[in-house]
Amino acid sequence: MPEGSAALQLQVGDRVVYPNQGVCRVAAIDVKEVAGQSLTFVTMRREEDGAVVMVPQGKIISIGVRKVASPSDVEEIYAFLRSDSDKADLDWKQRARTNLDRMTQGGILGLAEVVKGLQVLSELRPLPTKERELYDNARHLLVSEVAAALGTAEANAEDSIDIVLFPPGKERPKRTAAEFARPGGDEDDMDLDGDLMGLEGGELDLPSDEEPPAEPEEESSEEGGEEEEGGEEGAEDAPKKRGRPPKAKPAEGAEPAAPKKRGRPPKPKPEVTAESAEPAAPKKRGRPPKARPPEGAAPAEPAAPKKRGRPPKAKPAEDE
Amino acid sequence: MIRVVTLDPFDDKQLAKFNRTLYTAFGVGSEHSGSAEIPAGMSEPLDAEKLLEEVKGIRAYKDDKVLLLTSRKLKDRDLPSGKAPTSGFAKYGKDRAILSIAPFKDLEKDFKPIARHALHQLGTLWELHHCLDPRCSMYPPWTPSFNQGDHIFCTFCREKSEQKIRLAKS
Repeated sequence: MPEGSAALQLQVGDRVVYPNQGVCRVAAIDVKEVAGQSLTFVTMRREEDGAVVMVPQGKIISIGVRKVASPSDVEEIYAFLRSDSDKADLDWKQRARTNLDRMTQGGILGLAEVVKGLQVLSELRPLPTKERELYDNARHLLVSEVAAALGTAEANAEDSIDIVLFPPGKERPKRTAAEFARPGGDEDDMDLDGDLMGLEGGELDLPSDEEPPAEPEEESSEEGGEEEEGGEEGAEDAPKKRGRPPKAKPAEGAEPAAPKKRGRPPKPKPEVTAESAEPAAPKKRGRPPKARPPEGAAPAEPAAPKKRGRPPKAKPAEDE
Repeated sequence: MIRVVTLDPFDDKQLAKFNRTLYTAFGVGSEHSGSAEIPAGMSEPLDAEKLLEEVKGIRAYKDDKVLLLTSRKLKDRDLPSGKAPTSGFAKYGKDRAILSIAPFKDLEKDFKPIARHALHQLGTLWELHHCLDPRCSMYPPWTPSFNQGDHIFCTFCREKSEQKIRLAKS
């Protein structure tokens, strides 16, 4: 159940938060007849643009409508944003699902988690278009709720959030993919060190799958972002190792194997015996000779020379 | 239409260049629309929020965005999470903003950072939030790298501002 919705008694004039829509004010609570049933509807008007939504009273809680957060809740949000705990998931599918859940539930802490997570992720690499939009939506909802909770202008609410996220006088740190790795995560489950992978001392200088070569800009199209993310997902689910499979190491003490020759293996030589001591006749090249007719047979008439060209047309009969 | 209203004297040539920059950034007309007086009783550093509410003598249409330009200092704002360095202030989604050039020498020598701050305040009027891209003018203005950047928007902020302007026109 969404936070703050346990016992929601609404009255006209109350300020509430509608998940994914923002701060609304209850404009009316009235009974309407719909399909022969009389239902109590709560009419809410969005403060931002005056859009009106009517919700049956019985569905208010299941939708996630709640009262506006209190100033003490906002203090908790600042504390959460100030902490360095939240690391976004590098698996884009998992991240998208989690963020969607948080947005749908509509809690102020969920909004803060989306903002913080994507902000931290942007310190690793630029956000894809979809996530940039999600970040903007979450930020907008968070700012409007903080402004409503503190009774201040939205510009001040946004600055108060950003003073925490971007402390004055400090540049944002550059993150590395290693910081996002979770203990016991997919990468660590492999437990393959460089020696086993045949990559001693960085034999192959491969680019890391987690950290793609810097994206050109945010200008990358949505598809591009998805593709990139897809690649990342593949990298996490089953980390592909490029290059050759590892070589089996020889046992200690064994003689070092002779260097392996390249190319086709040589044909086995026939064993030399007395009968086969004569050297084989050299193989003749070219077309094999035609089979000769057996001696004693009547010599065949020489065949008429083959005429070249088109066969002559059959002449019409002279009688006609 | 962007209307630049000065609260202190500025060079006309520099103001013309300033307006051209705003026109290039947003694609809407920008002009110097005269000057206004700071309300009596307000002393330096000025309270930006209060000044925006109390300043009088500004003529503008409903869709216009007014940018007040002053060379006096603005007072840092006390916010619940700390003190916000304030070189400008804009009401989110409304029609008035103020920009102080006090942190800089003058409009001519520090034109780029001043234009960047102006874009930031006007962007706030067109409902842009702070951006994650350090090259964008909507990046938080108190960060050390903000004044080194160009007066441009990132793709996302530019498209969003264009969309808002289009909606306002229609």
